[in-house]
Amino acid sequence: MIQTETSGVKAFIGVDTGGTFTDTVVTLSDGRLGVGKALSTPGRVEQGVLDSIGQAAAALGLTLSELLSRTVILTHGTTVGLNALLTGGGARVGLLTTAGFESTLPIAKANKLHGLDELDVTMPVRWRKPDQLVARARIAGVSERVDVSGAVVRPLDEGQARAAIRRLAARGADSVAVCLLWSPVNDGHERRLAALVAEELPGVHVSCSSAIAPVVGEYERTSTAVLDAYVAPVVATYLRALQERLREDGFGGVLMILRTGGGAEPVEHTLRAPVNTLRSGPVAGLAATAALAAELGHANVVATDVGGTSFDVGLVIGGAMQRASTPMVHRHALAIPVVEVESIGTGGGSLAWLDQGLGALRVGPRSAGADPGPACYGRGGTRPTLTDASAVLGYLSRLGESMPLDVAAAREAIRAHIAEPLGIGVVAAAEGIVRIAADQMRDLIRRTTIQRGHDPSAFALVAFGGAGPQYASWYADGLGATDVIIPNLAAELSAYGAVSSDLSIGVERGLVPGPVAEAGPAVAATLAELAGGIEADLPGAVDSVTAVSGRAPVLRHTVALRFYRQQRRIELPVAVPVDAAELARLESEFRKRYEEIVGAGTAADGTPVEAVGVRVELVAPVPVPPPVTRPGGAAEPVDERAAWFAGAEHRCAVYDWRRLSAGCEITGPAFVESGQTTVVLPPGRRARMDAGGHLHLT
Amino acid sequence: MIDEITFEVLRHRLDTINDDAAAVLARLSGSHLAAEARDLNTAIMAPDGRVVCCGRYVLAQVVSMHLVVRDILENYADNPGFGPGDQFVTNDPYIGTLHQPDVVVVAPIFVDGELVGWCGSTAHQADVGGPNPGGITYDARSIFDEAVPMPPVRIVEGGRLRRDLEREYLVRSRTAELNRLDLVGQVAANRSVTAEVGRLCGQYGADAVAAVMDRLLERTEALLRERLRALPDGRWRHVAYVEYRPHGGTTEAVYAVRLTMTKRGDDLELDFTGSDPQAPGTINAAYPALAGFAIGGVLIYLCGGLPWVPGGVWPVVRIRSREGTVVHARWPAGVAMSTAATCQAVRVSVNACLARMLEASRDLAHLVMASCQAAGGGGGTVHGERGDGTSYATMTLDEITGGGGATWSGDGADSSGYTTSPGASCANVEVNEAYLPLLYERRAELADTGGPGRHRGGVGTLHALTPHGDGASMTMMSFGQGLQHPLAAGVCGGEYGGQSVVAVVPDLAGLADEGERRLPMPSATVPIRTGELLVSVSQGGGGLGDPLDRDPAAVLDDVLDGLVSVRGALRDYGVVVTGDPRRPDGLRVDDPATSRCRDDRRHARIGRPPAPPAPSRQGRPLSAVLDLLPPAGDAPHREGVVACGRCGTVLCGAAGNVHEHLVVSDASPAERSPLGAVYEGADRFVLRRLYCPACAVQIDVQVCRTGDPVLAAIEVL
Repeated sequence: MIQTETSGVKAFIGVDTGGTFTDTVVTLSDGRLGVGKALSTPGRVEQGVLDSIGQAAAALGLTLSELLSRTVILTHGTTVGLNALLTGGGARVGLLTTAGFESTLPIAKANKLHGLDELDVTMPVRWRKPDQLVARARIAGVSERVDVSGAVVRPLDEGQARAAIRRLAARGADSVAVCLLWSPVNDGHERRLAALVAEELPGVHVSCSSAIAPVVGEYERTSTAVLDAYVAPVVATYLRALQERLREDGFGGVLMILRTGGGAEPVEHTLRAPVNTLRSGPVAGLAATAALAAELGHANVVATDVGGTSFDVGLVIGGAMQRASTPMVHRHALAIPVVEVESIGTGGGSLAWLDQGLGALRVGPRSAGADPGPACYGRGGTRPTLTDASAVLGYLSRLGESMPLDVAAAREAIRAHIAEPLGIGVVAAAEGIVRIAADQMRDLIRRTTIQRGHDPSAFALVAFGGAGPQYASWYADGLGATDVIIPNLAAELSAYGAVSSDLSIGVERGLVPGPVAEAGPAVAATLAELAGGIEADLPGAVDSVTAVSGRAPVLRHTVALRFYRQQRRIELPVAVPVDAAELARLESEFRKRYEEIVGAGTAADGTPVEAVGVRVELVAPVPVPPPVTRPGGAAEPVDERAAWFAGAEHRCAVYDWRRLSAGCEITGPAFVESGQTTVVLPPGRRARMDAGGHLHLT
Repeated sequence: MIDEITFEVLRHRLDTINDDAAAVLARLSGSHLAAEARDLNTAIMAPDGRVVCCGRYVLAQVVSMHLVVRDILENYADNPGFGPGDQFVTNDPYIGTLHQPDVVVVAPIFVDGELVGWCGSTAHQADVGGPNPGGITYDARSIFDEAVPMPPVRIVEGGRLRRDLEREYLVRSRTAELNRLDLVGQVAANRSVTAEVGRLCGQYGADAVAAVMDRLLERTEALLRERLRALPDGRWRHVAYVEYRPHGGTTEAVYAVRLTMTKRGDDLELDFTGSDPQAPGTINAAYPALAGFAIGGVLIYLCGGLPWVPGGVWPVVRIRSREGTVVHARWPAGVAMSTAATCQAVRVSVNACLARMLEASRDLAHLVMASCQAAGGGGGTVHGERGDGTSYATMTLDEITGGGGATWSGDGADSSGYTTSPGASCANVEVNEAYLPLLYERRAELADTGGPGRHRGGVGTLHALTPHGDGASMTMMSFGQGLQHPLAAGVCGGEYGGQSVVAVVPDLAGLADEGERRLPMPSATVPIRTGELLVSVSQGGGGLGDPLDRDPAAVLDDVLDGLVSVRGALRDYGVVVTGDPRRPDGLRVDDPATSRCRDDRRHARIGRPPAPPAPSRQGRPLSAVLDLLPPAGDAPHREGVVACGRCGTVLCGAAGNVHEHLVVSDASPAERSPLGAVYEGADRFVLRRLYCPACAVQIDVQVCRTGDPVLAAIEVL
């Protein structure tokens, strides 16, 4: 029966591997959605992916191979590289760099503070450099030098370089990064070095900075090349194993991997520079938010994600995700495009503690971690967390789908550590914890918008992640957001973001900063070279995606401009071929955009505008089948339970998200539960479900 | 009484509002000093000016911002007065800024006609006028040879930026457009704070916001007093030196900053009255700069883990100084270079004395941190013309690569910059080469520059650069400190961090030569010709503890990392490293030879075989290596005695100057100077090491003028 219904139906799969769960969202061309969730399987990550897809298949009445054989595109967000970085499980990297500049990476631009948590920032004895991914002994200088104009000041000494390469290998390097001064302007020496490494150390991975991150600024470029060399072997091993397993189970479509800069690229491209997967998790949530914004007609959206240990905020402006200007991962600088996500250490697992000296109840930034986790997990945790506060207040009735909560343990943790020392009741203490956490979250939303010159009241707000729907009623309060949305699939939104990401192949190149009026030849030549490079090397995936969508891929050319020596760069689309008139238009467009972003009167007439980079991006739209709309109707509660709000106990209706009808309205105090999340509606809050299955809070 | 929950919500909100203001300023500012060196900061203050919230960027800039507010309260209450929407701009170092390039803008915060507080922002300007680009005239005879400062002027009235005053402010600068953007940014930052604090008062009531500010001030003061009470009373001393060649002079005069720090109960006094008379120009600190660096030092070196609310620290710390001295200049002495000169000596002195105090506590010794780099080395400006005839003048920021101080938990952070400007970064080589007609030959952490100790200070960094491009010219003006002697003090018997070097040399090859290298002090301006190299070394951080106690395995790790040379391992640590460095595991520690070498060193220190360590310590610690023992029976010292904490040998009565009872060994600072640099005038200084006369453990290291008596660095009260 099901077989006949689904014959001829095409499937699109998004899979996002997180720390605890691997989520899958399947969209079928007939509009049906399937969701899968399986425990992540560290060590054999591909197993969790297959399990999760299998669950989604089962939800749609299909076997794993039935689903996979119908799948035309499978888009995956992976944390394999990030986990290797966080656990120190990457390669033993050797670094080749220009002789005399071996200290670039250890100096790390003298950073001892950026990326530390709030408590360490006021504890100078804990100030420290980022962890060293490469021991100084495995950094070797190579005699060569190129200057700002690309001219060779000192030729590459190949004999010395070979000796340096052998020395790195003798010191245990099993992956090599290459970063030379001015390689974005002249990559000849880096390419030659890569060839020498291939000759001297066959089979060893090489990451060349000029191929991965050809932008001016040697520290960030070196750091990026080293990160790439550090994670590349691990990521490659994983992706190949995954490809193999998928193929065995009947998958013949296109496998794409999410990139930190947004979009997804064919897996062959990912394997060239796996560093681009390092922060793809938050990207998936933002990609979904952007898709949702388009669906709901919002131009500007704040995406908020409450996880176990952090609260993440990203912006969608004019429908587009924003790029970070000085991105970092685990305190290491990145010189690749990275979607901007601000983060604080406030999540469900954040510890609540008494700052006796200050007389303050504090929440975070330290977390209870996964094991033993919050007290209510019943695994022996005794210190109170934000999740414990929610459990005590009755906001949560279970963990995940069905695991019971140890409310007594949560109550005891809050009583012993917070309520009793403060001389207040357990409920008041728990409500205080929720309020403080929510205020920190709201402060981060304000910070993310206001610091970039935006007014939070000009944004709609989307709340997702396992715990976003629990706290959104509080942290969205007072921001004046135009709409507060808990999306359908809130807990699996990252997987939805994967399935709704377009294919994107982007290449960029830094230019030596120079006045834009004089940059014409360099801009034109570099754009043509990059575009030629993409077109000469078009993966088959582009044809496959185009065939499915029926929409031709688009080539986008952009130029990055900035005022003399400023950090803020603005990327503007440029018409090719580039002529003097186009450059003049770009300059005046830049000044206009700058004042829009930074403020009127800030684009000084006398300050020169520089061209600092160009980018070419090929985008092939991936079709997202429109979901089946929900029928209309009223909301019927499925249960009732007691919960505390503002010191009073309320009987609250409990609704099942899956059974809510389009247009129905729910008035708090109430809960809406779906598989993995609970929407908490305090008294006075109301929620309305739209036809797409998203809840809107008012 | 505000409850713990509302308090936390409002506290977090105020901090966020202040951080937002700093971001607004950085966003609007066009300056790379804001973007890279993060030479800016913001503060929220109570109605009387006490600083409640401050950013972590450049601490010294904001901790004394109340001085600007006090000046306005005292002088302008009626004329011109201040009201809602007003803002005042000043760069007057005699009133409240560190030096003229730091421009402060403050604004009162009014809610419903009531003054609920102030906010302020500060940003370092590329140029504020005066004879030289960049604002510093090395040989100024008085402040009239520098940028003439602007006392607080009401530049924004009722929300409107006054055009006439804006022009009056900007006309003096060579970089008026950049300054205008910073001014716009500072005004906008203050506007955002006034609006947001107003909104907060609307939501929670002005009384609640005032209560939170009061509580932050009160609790911070109480917590700091509690921390002080937990520490033993005492008096500690440190002396640091600044060199300066006054206008028309032919040699550098030496200016001593002398600090006597006394702690009694919960009161801390920083007495700088013994410091030398002021110089005619540029290196002096006016009182606000002294206060900014002294209080900033107290925050960093004593207040770790406490709330960083400077307004709560002020009432606890009493600063004593004499007008007319180098730390407290009398108008019209020049002060433009204060932050790179006298202020660094002030900060190091506060650092050293606080470390000595903390050492005396078992519970708080973990907060001890040796001194980070001071200014010098790559500090200064380069200017000249490019091949196309356009001119340039800027700081390379290369000096922000010196070492951090060692702590009990580990070695100092290598090449990590200033502790007092923790957020600052050096610039990429490629960025400097893109904008300036120069080519770097080297930027490398320099071995043996970290102060030796049981825990090593962070290493400093060597830079070498040369004019590059047809027709390019280059002239350097060095801040020139720490060339004749080191500045970054070690603690607990650890050595000073390596000193600065600035030199013009024909090539790098010669730098590898061992032995002394006699160098001239840089004059006010030093040309670098095509083919010549400007070499600079930023200072290393101070070490902690006797270097002979460092784990030889850690020394070997440093050798393998290139942070200590094989020669340095022997010279500084008595560790014998042998083997072939070209082989992967070719280097190793020769343990028996190391053991013998260290025994010989201890023997040589005191001229006889050293006593063995005692099994355990007695009494209470007076320092990391000294103990204070109660009086015993009929012993002569009724007040108790001081004993070596290592071997237990009684050294003197508790009332004596214990340092006079130690074995003193004076050496030339040149022995450990990077690149063997010996500057003219270095012979005026000695590196004084003090050892236990019985077991030979290194108890203290000091920089002194030749022939100075032994400093009473620790006094029991």
